[in-house]
Amino acid sequence: MISAVTVASRPEILASQMLTLQPRLKVSLAGWMLLFGTSALFGADRTGEQIYQQVCASCHGAKGEGTTESYPHPLVGERSVGELTEYISKSMPEDKPGTCVGEDARKVSQFIHDTFYSPTAQARNKPVRVELSRLTVRQYRNAIADLIGSFRGAGKLEGQEGLRGEYFKARGFRANARAFERVDPVVAFDFKDKSPDDEKMEPHEFSIRWEGAVTAPDTGEYEFIVRTDQAARLWINDLKQPLVDNWVQSGKDTEHRESIFLLAGRTYSLRLEFSKAKQGVDDKKAKEKPPAPASISLEWQRPHRVAEVIPARCLSTSRPSEAFVVTTRFPPDDRSVGWEKATSISKEWDQATTDAAIDVATFVATHFEEFAGTKRDAADRDEKLKSFCHRFAERAFRRPLDDEQRKTFVDRYFVEGVEPETSVKRVVLLTLKSPRFLYRELGSQQHDAPVSGQATGDSDHSLARRAGFDPFDVASRISFAMYDSLPDQALLDAAAKGELKTREQVAQHAQRLLADPRARSKLREFLLTWLKVEHVPDVSKDSERFPEFNAVLANDLRTSLELFLDEIIRSDEADFRQLLLADSVYFNGRLAKFYGAKMGESEPADDAPFQKIELEPEQRAGVLSHPYLMAGFAYTGSSSPIHRGIFIARSVLGRSLRPPPEAVAPLAPHLRPDLTTRERVALQTKPESCQSCHAMINPLGFTLEHFDAVGRFRKEENGKLVNATGAYRTRNGELLNFTGVNDLAKFLADSPETHSAFVEQLFHFLVKQPIRAFGSNTRETLRASFVKDNFNIHRLMVEIIATAALTTSESKPQTPISSP
Amino acid sequence: MSRTARREFLRDLGLSAAALPFVLNLPSLGFANQQARKQRLVVMFSPNGVVPKTFWPDEEGSEFKLKESLSPLEPFKDRLLTLHGVCDKVRGDGDNHMRGIGCLLTGVELFPGNIQGGSHTPAGWASGLSIDQEIKNFLQAKEETRTRFGSLEFGVMVPERADTWTRMSYSGPNKPITPIDDPYQMFSKLYGKLNDRESLKSILDDLQADLKKLASSVSAEDRQLLEEQTTFVRELEQELKADATQAVGHAVPELEPGIKEDNDNMPKLCKLQIDLMVNSFASDFARVATLQITNSVGQAKMRWLDINEGHHEISHSPDSDEKAQEKLTRINKWYAEQLAYLAKRLAETPEPGGPGSLLDNTTIVWTNELGKGNSHTLDNIPWVLLGNGLDFKMGRALNYDKIPPSRVLNAIDQAADFIAGKSIKPGKVAHNRLLLSLAHGFGHHLTKFGNPDFCGDGPLSNLV
Repeated sequence: MISAVTVASRPEILASQMLTLQPRLKVSLAGWMLLFGTSALFGADRTGEQIYQQVCASCHGAKGEGTTESYPHPLVGERSVGELTEYISKSMPEDKPGTCVGEDARKVSQFIHDTFYSPTAQARNKPVRVELSRLTVRQYRNAIADLIGSFRGAGKLEGQEGLRGEYFKARGFRANARAFERVDPVVAFDFKDKSPDDEKMEPHEFSIRWEGAVTAPDTGEYEFIVRTDQAARLWINDLKQPLVDNWVQSGKDTEHRESIFLLAGRTYSLRLEFSKAKQGVDDKKAKEKPPAPASISLEWQRPHRVAEVIPARCLSTSRPSEAFVVTTRFPPDDRSVGWEKATSISKEWDQATTDAAIDVATFVATHFEEFAGTKRDAADRDEKLKSFCHRFAERAFRRPLDDEQRKTFVDRYFVEGVEPETSVKRVVLLTLKSPRFLYRELGSQQHDAPVSGQATGDSDHSLARRAGFDPFDVASRISFAMYDSLPDQALLDAAAKGELKTREQVAQHAQRLLADPRARSKLREFLLTWLKVEHVPDVSKDSERFPEFNAVLANDLRTSLELFLDEIIRSDEADFRQLLLADSVYFNGRLAKFYGAKMGESEPADDAPFQKIELEPEQRAGVLSHPYLMAGFAYTGSSSPIHRGIFIARSVLGRSLRPPPEAVAPLAPHLRPDLTTRERVALQTKPESCQSCHAMINPLGFTLEHFDAVGRFRKEENGKLVNATGAYRTRNGELLNFTGVNDLAKFLADSPETHSAFVEQLFHFLVKQPIRAFGSNTRETLRASFVKDNFNIHRLMVEIIATAALTTSESKPQTPISSP
Repeated sequence: MSRTARREFLRDLGLSAAALPFVLNLPSLGFANQQARKQRLVVMFSPNGVVPKTFWPDEEGSEFKLKESLSPLEPFKDRLLTLHGVCDKVRGDGDNHMRGIGCLLTGVELFPGNIQGGSHTPAGWASGLSIDQEIKNFLQAKEETRTRFGSLEFGVMVPERADTWTRMSYSGPNKPITPIDDPYQMFSKLYGKLNDRESLKSILDDLQADLKKLASSVSAEDRQLLEEQTTFVRELEQELKADATQAVGHAVPELEPGIKEDNDNMPKLCKLQIDLMVNSFASDFARVATLQITNSVGQAKMRWLDINEGHHEISHSPDSDEKAQEKLTRINKWYAEQLAYLAKRLAETPEPGGPGSLLDNTTIVWTNELGKGNSHTLDNIPWVLLGNGLDFKMGRALNYDKIPPSRVLNAIDQAADFIAGKSIKPGKVAHNRLLLSLAHGFGHHLTKFGNPDFCGDGPLSNLV
C-alpha cells in the first residue's frame, strides 16, 4: 500500500535515478534484480493507514492537517521513522499512551512519515504550480543569438543543397579569370594532376571559391577540417576572419583543423577558398610546369562524432547573416526530472551570466553603430544610440518599456562625460543581468508603472491582465515552447494588438512557427531524448566478435537514425505511429554491407550515399528495430533484454520503475555458455524479489531478442532458435502476449498508454513546467486530440502550446491592477 | 591567424582565473614574483636593410661616433651596443626576404611550401620556434618569473595577410604568431577586463533596485529565487571592491581615440604601441615583447619625412643613387627615433618595487631581415642592442669582422670555404650564436638554438 503510493507519486525521483543510468551501456543494471524492501509484505493485521485513521485522525485530521479543536498544527517534522515510533509508543494517543506500541507503532509511524510528515512527503504533497524559471542554457544562448540577430537582416535564406562553386583559371579570384560556376553537393575532390574541367581550364594553376552555408544539427563544439596539399582558407559564420587559414602550405601538413562552437538548428555562412598555384610572387613566367597533384576535402567532426565529409544535406547555397554565439560555459541544467528544469540558480550560473553579458556587451560595443544605423560623426548619433538601447532592452525583456523603465535601464546611462560606447555597454550589461531578461513567467508583475505613449491600446493590456493573461507573456510562452527563444516580431505585434487572447489566435501562431528551423531542431532533440540517445552514447562493440563494427560504422548508424527522424519531422503527416511501425531504414553502402541489406548494386561501395531500404517483414518496427537503438541497448558482446525492456517500459509506455537497491553484475555469458541470453536473464532475475519489476521488464525486452549486440537480425543464438515471445500487463490489468518486434510495435503504436506517455514527455520538453500544473485533465485532453489528429506530432505541438500559453496557474498570485 | 591570438588570450585569462578567486580580476599573478630582478627583452624589427655607410660606426670599442642613421640614439650611447659582422647563415627554401624574417629569430630553415618569393624556391613557415618564445617559455615555466602574458607581440602596420614575409615570431614549427598591430585591440587584451569591471560596478545598484522591485511582486515561493540572485549580486559587488584594492598600481593608460590603421598614422600608431608596451612592463604583464614595424619587404610610405615612394621600392636602388641612399638613411633614422622613444620611456619609468628604471632591466634588440636592401644580403644584419637587461657590456661598437677567424668561424664554414678554395675571410659569425647569447643573458644556458650547425662555439664572445 505504502509503496504503491510512493511509486505513483514520485515520478520525478524515479526519473532522476533513471537518468543517472545514462551511460547505461557501461553500467550494470542487474541490481534491478534485487528486491527493494519488505514494505510489500503485509500481514493479516491492520495497515499503518488503518491504524492512523482509527486512532489518530480524530485529533490530527485525515491527512495530518490538524483539527481546530484538539490539535491545530499540521503533523510535519524531521524525525526519522524510528524516532517517531519511539515517541508514539511512549506518548500516543494522548488519552491512552502505551496502547499503540511495537509493530503497530512502527507501521503507523511509517505511514505518517511517508505520507505527509517528512520533508520529502511535504514537497510531494505541495500543489504543483507553474514556477518562476530562469532561461535554460539553451534558451539563454538562443535568446542572445536572436536578440543580436534582430538588429541584422536574416540574410538570404533560400537556397539549394550543396555549395556554389566558382572556378577560376588563375591562382586568384579575379572576375576576368572566372571560368565557370556550378553547385557542388560536397567538397571532396582529388584532382590528381588534372584540371577540374579540361575544356575550361589548365591543370597547372586554378582556384576555386565555394560559398554558401552550413547547418549545425546539434549544439556544441565542431571541428572543421580542411584536407589539402594546396593553399586554402575556410570561413565559418564570420566572413571577415578565416577559421582555418592555410594559404601558406608549409611542410607536410595536409590536415588543418580548427574548432568553433555552434548552436543547433541554425545556419551559418561558409566560404572556402582553394588555390592550386605558388602563392607570393607570381611565377607565371616559369618555364617548367611539371604536373603536380592537388586535392581538397571539407570535413567536420560534429560533437561526439567522428570526422566525415560535410554531407550535402547540411550544406546550402543560402547566405545567412553572421550569428552571434555565446560561448561562455554555463553549468548544465538540471535534467533529473526528464526535462530541463530551471527553477534554481547557483553562484556558477550567476557568474556565467555575468561573463556572457560582458561578452555580449563587448560585441555590441564594437558593432553598435551598425545596429543603431548611425556613424561616428552623425549629429543625431546619441539619439540613435539611445533608441537602439531602448529596442535592445525591449527585445531582451520581450515587452515594451514604460517611461520609467526607459529611464532606469537606458537614459540614465547616457550622461555628459561618459563615452557613448561605455553607455551602450552598461545598458547591455544591466539588461542582460536583469531578471526581466533572465527569468520567464515573471508575468504581468513587470509592469510596475503604467504604459504610456504606446500606440497599442492600453485597455487591451489591462483586459488581458485582468483575465490573467499578459499578452506579452503569452507571446513568450509560445516562442519559448516552440523554439526556446525570444518571440519574433509577428508575435510581439500580435501581443501589442491584443491578438493573443483566444486559443485560435495562439494556435495560428504556433502553426506558423512549426516551419521555423529552430522548432524543427527542438522537436528533433525531443525525439532523441524520448529515445534516450540525446547524448551520443558509446556503442563500441567487442572487436573480436564484431571486427567490422567500428567507430565509423557506429557514426553511420547514428546518422541513419537521424535521417529517419528528420524524415518524420519534415513530413506533413508527422505521424507518431510511423516511429514505431516504419518498414524501411536508411543505409549507406557500409551499413548495407554490414547488415546484409540489398542496395541495388550487388556490392555497394562503402560510401554509397544513404538511401531508404525496405526491411524484411519481420524487422519492420521503426525505431524499435533500428540497429542503432538495438546496438545501444545492448552490451558489447551480447544483447540486453533488460536495457531494452526498461526503455520500452519507461520511455515508450511511461511506466515508473523503482531503481534497483544496488548494482549487481550481470551473469557473464561465458560462465553459462549453455544458456541463451534470454535464459541467462531469466535465471538471474528468477527470485521472487526481482520479479516485482522484472516481471514487466523482461517480457518486453525478450520480444527484441532477434536483434543481437550490434542490432543484426538473428534466428539463432548459440545454435538455439531465438525465442522472442513476450508479454505486457496493461495498466488496466489485461495481459497481452507478443511474438517478435512486429507484434510489440503494433501494440505500442495503438496503445493509449504509449500515447499518454508521449504527450506528457513532449509537453514537459516544450513547456518545461509540470503538466499537472496546467490542470489534472490536461494530459487526457491532449491525448484525445492527438488521437483525433491522426497522431500528428506537429498538431500535438500546436495543441500543447495553445493549452500552456493560455493557462495560468491558480497558485499564482494575481496582482491588483493599479492603473488603467 | 587571430584565432591563435584569441585562444591564447582565453588561455591567459584561464591562467589568471586559477590564480585568483575572482575571474574578473585584472589578472596579474598577485605580484608573487616581485622580489628578484625582472629582466626583460624587446625585439624591434624594421625592414629592407640599412645603408651601411651611414649606419655602422667606423670605430670599434667604447670610443665610437654615431653616424646619421643612429644619431637619435646619442642620449643612450653609453647603453648601446652595435654588432657588425653577425650574419644570418640559414639557407634552404625561400628568398632572402622570407628567410630574412623567418629565420631571424628562429635560426632554422623554412619548411618547403607554396609561397614563392622573388627568387629561390618556394617555402612555407619556419621549422622551429623563435628565441623570444623560447625565452618566454623559460620564464613562464618558473613561478618566480611567470607573468600574466609571458610575452606580447606588438606590430605596427603589419599587412592583413599571413605569410612568410609578415611573421617573425613562432611558438613552434609551422606556428607563426600574429602580431597585434591595432593598439585598441592590444589595449583591450591588456585592460579590457579592467574596463568591464568598471562598467559592471556602475550597474550593480540599479540591478539591486530592479531585483528588489520584482521580488516584492512575485509569490513567496518564487521570491526565493530572486533573493538568491540578490545575494549573488551583493557578493559580486564585494568581490569587485576587494579586487579594486588589489589592483592598485595598474594605472590604465589613456589612449588617444580613433587613430585609424593607415600609412600616414604610422608615427602615432608606433607611439601608442610603445606606450602600451612600457605600461605593460610597469604592470609586469610580460617580460618579453616584440615590436614588428611593418614586415619583411615593408612598403611604408614615409610622407611625414617627405618620402613618397614605398620603402622596399627605394631599397632596391643602387649605392650610386645618392638621393635614394639619403632617403633610406632618413628612413632608418626614423626607425632609430622610435627606438630612442622606447628607450626614453623605459629610462624615465622607475622599476616598480626595485631600484633604477625599467631600462636598467631591459635589453632592446633592434634588427632587420637584411643587411643591405639592394644586395639582399643576409650578412651583417644590423643588430643594435640598447639597455641593461642582460648585463652585456654596453657603450661599445663591436665588429666581428675584425675578430680573428679562429674565434668566430665554425668548423662547417671553415671546411666549406676551404673546399671552395676560398681564402678564409673574417666576418662570418652566425647569428644563432647571438640568439644563444640572449638566452644565456636570462640564465637559460642553451647549447643549441635553431640549426645546431650554426651554434658552434656557443654564445658570442666579447659581449659580457
